Amino acid sequence: MTRKQRFVSTVLPPVVVLILATAGLELAVRIFQIQPFLLPAPSRVAGALWKYRDELAISLWTTAQAALIGFVASAVFGILLAIPLSAWPLARRAFYPYTVFFQTVPIIAIAPLLVIWINPGLESTATCAFVVSVFPVIANTLTGMLSTDPALVDLFRLYDAGAWARLWKLRLPSAIPSIMTGLRIAAGLAVIGTVVGEFFVGLLGEAEGLGVRIVAANKVGKTDLLFAAVLMASLLGLAMFAGVNLAAKLLLRHWHASEKDT
Amino acid sequence: MMKRLAAIFGGLLLTMLAIPSPAGTSVQLTLDWKPEPEFGGFYAGQLSGAFAKQGLDITLKPAGEGAATWQLVATGKTDFATTAADQVIIARQSGADVIAFFAVYQTFPQGVMVHKARGFKSLRDVFTNDGVLLAEDDTWLHFLLKKFGTPKVKISAYGGGIADFLARADVSQQCFVTSEPILAKNQGGDPQTFLIADEGFNPYTTVVICKGDLWRSNPDRVRAMASACREGWRAYLDDPTAANSAMHDLNSDMDLQTFGQAAAAQKALIETDETKLAGLGTMTEARWDALCGQLKDLGVTDQLAKGGECFVNP
Repeated sequence: MTRKQRFVSTVLPPVVVLILATAGLELAVRIFQIQPFLLPAPSRVAGALWKYRDELAISLWTTAQAALIGFVASAVFGILLAIPLSAWPLARRAFYPYTVFFQTVPIIAIAPLLVIWINPGLESTATCAFVVSVFPVIANTLTGMLSTDPALVDLFRLYDAGAWARLWKLRLPSAIPSIMTGLRIAAGLAVIGTVVGEFFVGLLGEAEGLGVRIVAANKVGKTDLLFAAVLMASLLGLAMFAGVNLAAKLLLRHWHASEKDT
Repeated sequence: MMKRLAAIFGGLLLTMLAIPSPAGTSVQLTLDWKPEPEFGGFYAGQLSGAFAKQGLDITLKPAGEGAATWQLVATGKTDFATTAADQVIIARQSGADVIAFFAVYQTFPQGVMVHKARGFKSLRDVFTNDGVLLAEDDTWLHFLLKKFGTPKVKISAYGGGIADFLARADVSQQCFVTSEPILAKNQGGDPQTFLIADEGFNPYTTVVICKGDLWRSNPDRVRAMASACREGWRAYLDDPTAANSAMHDLNSDMDLQTFGQAAAAQKALIETDETKLAGLGTMTEARWDALCGQLKDLGVTDQLAKGGECFVNP
């Protein structure tokens, strides 16, 4: 396959789905005369995207900052925590159950505490993004570290490799596909965590994030603006997901099977 | 044989027509929050039989955050609902034919609660000083921001409750004068409340709405509903005890003492000099027009709505 063919075969299918779905929705709204407050037609949402482009751009930037900070914190903390947990079974038994806390805690329960402990705004929304997105990084990294090929482990032992070498040269590299899976999940969750966090602890005013804008648009019945803001949040999630994929490709393409061109 | 059958059926038919069903027409009123004193008059009316007297078999249905109640009315999921006057204008502008016909609060009960120790004299002080203001991104906030200019206070989304207010001396927050200030005081806080209405933004609140179609096709149903609401609210203002304990059974989050305090606190917002003349729940076109103008100014609505189309005094 040439480069061009490959591009067409990967990009075309989702674009066709998008066009068909959008056209179908537009037609349905027009034919059944669905009222805008129930479901705005894609053309109306596009209109809102254009009309509120300045505000939405600022909101996107505000949300993106928090989501990125939360995501990077999740990646660093999650991987750094999972490594010792994988090496020491006792530590794993002691701490792993508590990491589930991050997965189950409802943001609404800790939002008031964030205002008391930290401050409303970026610090708090980034914390929400972190809380929501860290667990998949821990869980996937741990799984990856613990599923090293036993034959290779034996081989390393045979050659008398030290603990450090086993970690750096064997366990960590073989865990990379799992780690990337964790990061991909975390990228989307970081956006959700930020938007939900903004419902409760986001700053209002000029630089309000997408979450604040979604609530405000709902309050004044501007469903088209609401959908436009949701669309921006989805695009942000998609961009972060693509970013993780790209980073994986650039970093690993020369030596890891999971990122070799297929 | 046929004659006898006809007589039996005829007789049956007559009895069915002659005895009105004791339950009356069943109607549903969806409330835009949990059973709390802001809805006391509706529960009082249910208890005292004010709705039954009008031939209405009422179901009161509390709702939480979620779909705007006007959407439920517009889509026929409920007959009646409570909401705020600005929401009625927004609904109409979105193409939903809903109208208001009874307003519980003549004065907007929304306020901002601050720590008394900060020595603020008015709402302006909240905006021109440091600290944090917890508020929802709502129309009244935009009104105040326009009036006071770029704020010095950091405004943050409000997730509910009073925990942050109690924990931090620099936190102010939005409140319903009938709710959070009472809770804060009961928990040892030092709340001082400024009403948004005093700054010039004063939409009728907890207004009862129905489809415009219902008013045009069956005005008597709307009149009956308005009369029952009025009688219920009269009863609640005179003695809220029974309705409070009925609501407390449904909503144990709020204790009975707080129910009593809230009922007392809201009296002056419901019964005013105007309602003493015109009757509880009545509204004026001038006030609706003023609100329509403010919503247009703030960019909430694209076109200037006509106040007279938004409500009736049945």
